[in-house]
Amino acid sequence: MKLLKKGAEGDIYLTKFEDHTAILKTRKKKPYRHPQLDSRIRKQRTIRESTILSEVKSLGVRTPLVYRVNQNDCTILMQQINGILARDLVGIKLQSACVEIGKITATLHKSGIIHGDLTTSNFISHQNKIYAIDFGLAQKSIRTEDHAVDLRLFKEILGSAHVDVMDLLWEAFLRGYRSVVGPERFNKVLNHVGIIESRGRYARME
Amino acid sequence: MICLGIESTAHTFSCAIVEKRGNKGKILSDVRRIYRPQDGQGIHPREASRHHIEHSSEVLSECVRQANLSIKDIDLISYSAGPGLGPCLRVSGVVARTISSYYKIPIYPVNHAIGHIELGKMLTGAKDPLTLLVSGGHTMLAAFKQKKWRIFGETLDITLGQLLDQFGRSLGFASPCGKKIEELAGKSEKYIELPYVVKGNDVSFSGLMSAAKRISKNKEDACYSLQETAFAMIGEAAERALSFTEKKELLIVGGVAANKRLSQIFKQICARQKAKFFVAPIQYSGDCGSQIAWTGLLQATAKKGVSLKDTFVRQSWRLDTVQIDY
Repeated sequence: MKLLKKGAEGDIYLTKFEDHTAILKTRKKKPYRHPQLDSRIRKQRTIRESTILSEVKSLGVRTPLVYRVNQNDCTILMQQINGILARDLVGIKLQSACVEIGKITATLHKSGIIHGDLTTSNFISHQNKIYAIDFGLAQKSIRTEDHAVDLRLFKEILGSAHVDVMDLLWEAFLRGYRSVVGPERFNKVLNHVGIIESRGRYARME
Repeated sequence: MICLGIESTAHTFSCAIVEKRGNKGKILSDVRRIYRPQDGQGIHPREASRHHIEHSSEVLSECVRQANLSIKDIDLISYSAGPGLGPCLRVSGVVARTISSYYKIPIYPVNHAIGHIELGKMLTGAKDPLTLLVSGGHTMLAAFKQKKWRIFGETLDITLGQLLDQFGRSLGFASPCGKKIEELAGKSEKYIELPYVVKGNDVSFSGLMSAAKRISKNKEDACYSLQETAFAMIGEAAERALSFTEKKELLIVGGVAANKRLSQIFKQICARQKAKFFVAPIQYSGDCGSQIAWTGLLQATAKKGVSLKDTFVRQSWRLDTVQIDY
């Protein structure tokens, strides 16, 4: 097994399943967390991630295929998507990836699922198709507030990781999102993003 | 260059004199008076500002005396212009403007949050850190990119400092309550389940606070469980931001940086993410004049002081809106 990435949430290994390559995501124990809290979080997220990865396939959202789940050591064995992280795309490709991410997000929201960790690092471009990964923080919710939190997080990441093209990408994302949820819902959620932002610490009140 | 920095965003009124030679800073003096509300109560802005006004001249003269200087040796003045409590901010504004106009010394408004970060960098030697600013007013993860401190995660409601203070006050402790909570937490190892809310890189503490108040029968267990949950949340957010930004350094600044359990957690996170760990020294982690003085000195390397009519104070002034030219 080869360690590909030591992520915040878990470590990603390249391994084999039957005779093809696969990804093993393992949520290791975090010694700085109280063991009770730690095992609750790891177990809950492993189950949630594997369930939702499979569930959203029926909505037409591309995700890695789950091969095997182990609740005890909190690992998920899944298909490897051999592509480029959306974060590492540039120019028009990054822009159209954001439209696609917007569409995926909207598709999830329409079915009452929030991704919970929308960043450009959690989408992979493979053969011009966008795959969604990392559903550890995903939740079931139809509340406008929760949908808006999803959008705000994506906006925050654009503002910090893609500063120079932030406006273009945000606009692209919204275009994709709107095309799926329709104008009425779109306006409601976007308006709520503003409300959440205004709750932020020292946000301008004028 | 020698700068007089005046801080008065919340409970602390402080004057400090800092000297800058090349890239090195030296704190010549740092004098503080802290407003203490009654046990179980929070800061009353009017009372706090009255406290600051009453102590301003004594703090100022003591600060100059300790530095072994006279006002005329000072090259520039900086003051905390926000964010903070309006009545308190106006005190540092008035003091700074008075000295500046009487002695004709250039004046610089400073963002308090950036002050925390810059002083932390200066004192620890961190070069390009992901910074966790944790205090009564802030809980955010910031990293420098393209002339601004960009935010990679923050609280969606109350701050870590507010969480500890408001919870502590509900038990009748005196504000700030962090120290007392840390002390009690150290006596327990019994973890009671509390809501753990991480949304991407952001955290939310308000639900945690309500839940913690409900389990506060045994104070030690409640303090322990509250600290463990809240710190694990901000730890996870920081770990995500570290992994996302791929920064190789992490720096903790702000009043809550004094908490040893928090540092212990972050040391382990940094070891895991192969980042160097820095924490502001305890006497300069909380609000102080030095953070304002040092940031004023940095600003002076890039621009001239502002004219008196532009010496604003701003209660709401997010650090990610400030362009950094130095």
